[in-house]
Amino acid sequence: MIPSLDRLFSRIRAAFSKPDLDADFDEELAHHLDMLTDEYVTKGMSESQARRQARLELGGVEQTRELHRETRGFPWLEQLGLDLRYTARLLSRERSFSLIALTIIAIGVGLNTSVFSLVNTVLLRPLPFAEADQLIWITNGPPETASDNLSGITHRIDAWEGLQESNRALDQIEAYNPFSLRQSYRLTRDDGTRETINEIEVSSGLFPMLGIRPLHGRFFTADDALPNGPPTVVLSHQFWQNRFGGDTSVVGETVRINDTPTLILGIAPRLDAFASSFYPAVRIDCYAVIVNENRRTWGNTIALVGRMKPGITTAQATTDLALAMETTRTNRPDLGDYPQANVLRLHDHIAGSLRQPLLFLSVAAGLLLAIVAFNLGGLLLARGAARGKELALRTALGAGNNRILRQLFTESATLVFVGSLIGTGLAAGIIHYLATNTAVAIPLLQSVRLDTASLAFTLLISAGTAIFCGLAPAWRLSFGRSPGFSALKDEGRSSTATRGMVRIRSFLVISEIALACGLVITAGLVMRSLHNVLDLDLGYEPENLTAVRIDLTGDYDEHTADHLYTMIDRVEALPGVTGAGLTDCIPIERDRGWGISALDNPEDPESRRAGTGAHVRIVSAGLLESMGTRIIAGRTFNRTDGADREAIIINQTLAESFWPDRSAIDQFVMQNGNAMRVIGVAADVRHRGPEIAAGREMYMTNRSWGGSSWDLMIRSTLPHETLMASVRTALHEIDPTLPLTQSRPMTTLVNRANSARRLMASLVTGFAAMALGLAALGLYGVISYTVTQRRKEIGIRMALGATGGRVSREIVGRTLKLAIWGVAAGLLGALAAGRLMDSILFGVNSFDPTTYLVTTLAVVTCALLAGYLPARQASRFDPMHALRSD
Amino acid sequence: MSPDKLDLLQGTLDIMVLQTLLAMGPLHGYGIARRIEQIGSGDILLNQGTIYAALVRLQQGKWITADWGTSDNNRRAKFYDLTARGRKRLEADVLNWRRVSDVMNRFLTTPTSPKGTR
Repeated sequence: MIPSLDRLFSRIRAAFSKPDLDADFDEELAHHLDMLTDEYVTKGMSESQARRQARLELGGVEQTRELHRETRGFPWLEQLGLDLRYTARLLSRERSFSLIALTIIAIGVGLNTSVFSLVNTVLLRPLPFAEADQLIWITNGPPETASDNLSGITHRIDAWEGLQESNRALDQIEAYNPFSLRQSYRLTRDDGTRETINEIEVSSGLFPMLGIRPLHGRFFTADDALPNGPPTVVLSHQFWQNRFGGDTSVVGETVRINDTPTLILGIAPRLDAFASSFYPAVRIDCYAVIVNENRRTWGNTIALVGRMKPGITTAQATTDLALAMETTRTNRPDLGDYPQANVLRLHDHIAGSLRQPLLFLSVAAGLLLAIVAFNLGGLLLARGAARGKELALRTALGAGNNRILRQLFTESATLVFVGSLIGTGLAAGIIHYLATNTAVAIPLLQSVRLDTASLAFTLLISAGTAIFCGLAPAWRLSFGRSPGFSALKDEGRSSTATRGMVRIRSFLVISEIALACGLVITAGLVMRSLHNVLDLDLGYEPENLTAVRIDLTGDYDEHTADHLYTMIDRVEALPGVTGAGLTDCIPIERDRGWGISALDNPEDPESRRAGTGAHVRIVSAGLLESMGTRIIAGRTFNRTDGADREAIIINQTLAESFWPDRSAIDQFVMQNGNAMRVIGVAADVRHRGPEIAAGREMYMTNRSWGGSSWDLMIRSTLPHETLMASVRTALHEIDPTLPLTQSRPMTTLVNRANSARRLMASLVTGFAAMALGLAALGLYGVISYTVTQRRKEIGIRMALGATGGRVSREIVGRTLKLAIWGVAAGLLGALAAGRLMDSILFGVNSFDPTTYLVTTLAVVTCALLAGYLPARQASRFDPMHALRSD
Repeated sequence: MSPDKLDLLQGTLDIMVLQTLLAMGPLHGYGIARRIEQIGSGDILLNQGTIYAALVRLQQGKWITADWGTSDNNRRAKFYDLTARGRKRLEADVLNWRRVSDVMNRFLTTPTSPKGTR
């Protein structure tokens, strides 16, 4: 062992065996003094003189002891141990104070840690892909309209291949087919069990490029994407768990997907970064591979993700891809349309829309933490004042200011530390709840964890809180308090020191009210936005509407349409069902666009005007009625409409864009080469989600166009399971092979679309409620403190004839004054910050006067309540009692 | 205290203690202090209390050991003794000290330049 290490260890050991070592050294010292004394006595001194001389020679007994201790151990370590033990005793004695303090710290730290973890996962950390910074999203249309229309952001296979050939800035361009999720399939196992599955097609290179590895088996290779190769799938982890019980032997098993034997290649990992980034809260059961040759004749179907070469910037990639697309257009003149290649960082594509809301949430959490810190500071100040006598006594006994400061700081730091530990536990709970919640559509939510970064953040804010709350009051108490002896004498009298303290606490309380007021206003605005969103006329009625997925096999023909109507009839005949209809385009989940143009003369195709894109829904007769979508003009479909592709219904927006000056009824449109008569105009439907305005829409019947994957929309007030039991029985009588395993209340889908906003609104409201509670607590604390301090004065005044009512009015008045200062500051803050909120509000102005008024009143009411309690207490003082007690 | 006594240089006390133990064998704190004062014959400014800081330091570095025993006049006292490690350290320290003092001597005995260089 190295001597210096030996020394270090023995010094640490010494710090913990102080009493033993002290006794040992005292004995040694006694021996030394005895020897010296003997020596001096021998020289002729008297016993007492000799003893005195001995001490001098030694250099003082106490000094020697102190020097010995310092060399022997680490005095600061010993003191810390002492302080901690003292703190533990103190805090366990003042149970209610400790409990309140720990609770508010735990809540403040817990919420902030949770919000930070969320922000860190979604915004700060790179996406959980290999070298995610080099990944880009290549859209077809301009990125701003990317959320508008799937057909507008996707590319043709030829465009993809062209870009791959002609670009210079990218290592790789891979693809997935967002339309494949529109379709669902029927999966049948050898044992006859059937299941409706949602499958998404990916290019064979996508997962390797993203760095996602299979849990079992393998992902696709280029060979799997060859035309006429054997069909293969990879199962998603949750599907594998739910339907295959996590049995690894299914890898290599052949199942039938829509009657095609398909080999299971592997299992995707549990935390599927692709699904949780691109399809949050959407159920994906399988991955299939894009076979280019099978999709070549299709229109825009694939979304592109690329990896830039190292050192290339997005600007360079943009220029390069624009050039590459031009080359592609020249080389492949049959590409049609006018494809573009616009570049967006993949992270921006996935999380960009969450930046504002999450930033806002972080600010709200930060404000809450500030209120917690102010509140705790106030509590510690009050507690410190109550301990004035104890501290004065300790000063009188020789404790230096530094020593007392350290003791006070140890106390508050211990509180903050223990509170933060509890808060970290709380955060772990919240994070677990968020990460396992599959109904909230926030990308990467499943991968939110309490990781090193979160813990570092927790440590940081705890340290900040400890320093702010602990050091400030501690400094004030140990240096700024009135001289020790006067504190010993007249504790409880209104000295300048207590008045100064009231000033500081009032300032803290005003700050708390200001911050709380700001938070409450914000929460009011956010809640109103949520209500506005929930109150929106979606163009259909999601309540009491159930969507049942119907997957057909075989070719679609005239008989299929009849077959579908038999199903509708059966379901409509069920008790409790008031309507049913089929759509191939269920709101929220499915969408696509086709071109359409107005046709001035149905006989002359040349008379068609410039076309536009519009969303297409292929529906059965009765669908619009069962969805609750109004027909504004003309009529709805009947069961024979559309057989010759002659009838079409368009929505109001499309009608007005084609014929702003006259009725659209009986006008003609050209769609896919067919001249169709507009038989009706339907109300606009907010199809893609409540917050996305309706676009142009057209409805054609299931006799005009076929399909294999439909949603039967059933209107019924029956409970979901009851309804589904009778629907299954009824439909299985017609076709026993229907899986019918995917049925959902429409409200579930709408709620999912609103989930991010709802989560944020409830978080912010929770923050605001807590902020208000804390501010009220702080206000109550400072008012009741002044009441206690001025008990004697109040007693005198009441003895001289002041009524209880007058005293309490005065106290409430003082409360109100503090509250008004706070509210004024809060209002100013909210007004200044209002602009920041614009992007997250919906249908409400960030300076909405009603919200401001209502929330301000709420804050003032709360404040009055906090002041009323001590006021009532004061008005009941017995003057004699108040005067005598001191 | 008299102004003409020497203030001990940092580290020299440790050497003196080790050398004392080497010369005298096991000894208690009082004895060590006395011995150092004797040899210093009044030239050293020694707060006897500081001996104990040095003893603790040396003990923690395992250069010396301590054991309770009985002194000449039948008093219980703590006796310190040199360890092998202490012996080695003393040799090294003595060597080092000699070199330092040689250099200092040479340095201080070199005559000053008559021209008075800048």
